[in-house]
Amino acid sequence: MDRFILRAEIQTARGSVVSYAYDLTPRSVFVVTDWHLPIDSRVTVRLSLPRVLEPIEVAAHVTSNRVAGAPGELGGVILEFDSARPSLDAMLASLTERRHSGAPYRVLLVEDNGLTRDVFAYSAGRYFGTPESISIEHAEHAERAWELLATQRYDIVIVDYFLPNADGASLITKLRADKRLRGVPVVAISIGGHAARDATMAAGADVFVDKPLVFKDLFATLQLLAHLAPQETAAPRPTILVLDDSALALAVTRAALESAGFSVEIAEDLGAFERARATCDPDLILVDLQMPEAYGDDIAAMLVGTKAVDVPVFLFSSVDEEELARRSHEARVSGYIWKGAGMNELVRRCKEILEHAA
Amino acid sequence: MIEDIRGTFLHRFTSLARTRLAKSREAAGDPALLGTAVRELHSLAGEAGLLGISDVVPLARRGEDLARKLGSGEPGESLVAILDELDQIIAQLG
Repeated sequence: MDRFILRAEIQTARGSVVSYAYDLTPRSVFVVTDWHLPIDSRVTVRLSLPRVLEPIEVAAHVTSNRVAGAPGELGGVILEFDSARPSLDAMLASLTERRHSGAPYRVLLVEDNGLTRDVFAYSAGRYFGTPESISIEHAEHAERAWELLATQRYDIVIVDYFLPNADGASLITKLRADKRLRGVPVVAISIGGHAARDATMAAGADVFVDKPLVFKDLFATLQLLAHLAPQETAAPRPTILVLDDSALALAVTRAALESAGFSVEIAEDLGAFERARATCDPDLILVDLQMPEAYGDDIAAMLVGTKAVDVPVFLFSSVDEEELARRSHEARVSGYIWKGAGMNELVRRCKEILEHAA
Repeated sequence: MIEDIRGTFLHRFTSLARTRLAKSREAAGDPALLGTAVRELHSLAGEAGLLGISDVVPLARRGEDLARKLGSGEPGESLVAILDELDQIIAQLG
């Protein structure tokens, strides 16, 4: 049976990890990870197929750990969801409905190993059947990939992390910074484990998959991604960039704003914030006031005063509204949003701000 | 939809809140560590506010202000009493 690869982010009270998942059912999912999580540990898992299926967040608990075994049997955890979620059923329905695309599918595989390229092409031919249903081009290094990307259009780019000269993460960063290419789905692959996963995901890959690849699963996922085209032509969703040192506050903010139709980028520290700002071209920036590295009003003032940021910048905090108003005025930023008013008010204010800015 | 989100994150919130309150309690006994209580209670207030757990917000903010005051050597009410009250509210959430 074909299995789909989903992006999965596990969040616990101790931290979070971005990985990928298989075998989604209404009650459970298997997440590939080298994290050891005790049985019955409580987690939040965020599942998505970036650019195709909207993310959903579900509370869950660990029912078993699986050790990597035979080829194709990866190690990880089975998570059982705490309660049924209609959005999960909708995601499963989408996975079933989106089985086939009649359009030819254009793949760029950036991989320096000739044998892996040949196996990929052979397996794709077997999986997709008719040669006209998929077109695969190869680039053996990042520089050649960039030449092809500049002149061709691809439905998906698959990038190996270990490449000669510039690595795969550098290529993904460059691709995400390019206005024409930033919407292309990117799957990163590597034998490099969590170091390669962290580097490529931080660079902007949508999904990371460990080598050796289970081609059948990858191709089943590519078929889903082939339905991207209609979304590409849809009006772009406003992007909100949120800086906050609380992972929980970020997760809740992102879930609330995404449920209202916004695209959301989050950053837990200043380094991540600068990287996100360079790649996501936000329409609105929310800055938490109490960051460990610097005060939010100083960061916001610097964005407006020195970096000439011309989109609305708002302070985002739970401090008393009077103080928040004073500090946003002194920082000469667009205003503030009080966390204490809750998610509905956060969504309402963001809609209002972006409508006003349009 | 917002209720769904609240339900999804509630357990994570209560678990993290207990950790934040435990750290604040440790810090409450040592004036040199009160900065930790300020940060933990500040984060707790923000997280509770977003999730609509409104009775936590003013209390956590009061604890944050008090910890800041005590850390500056000013007299004030008992921080532990506020932490006890917050613990009780969190326990009622499950």
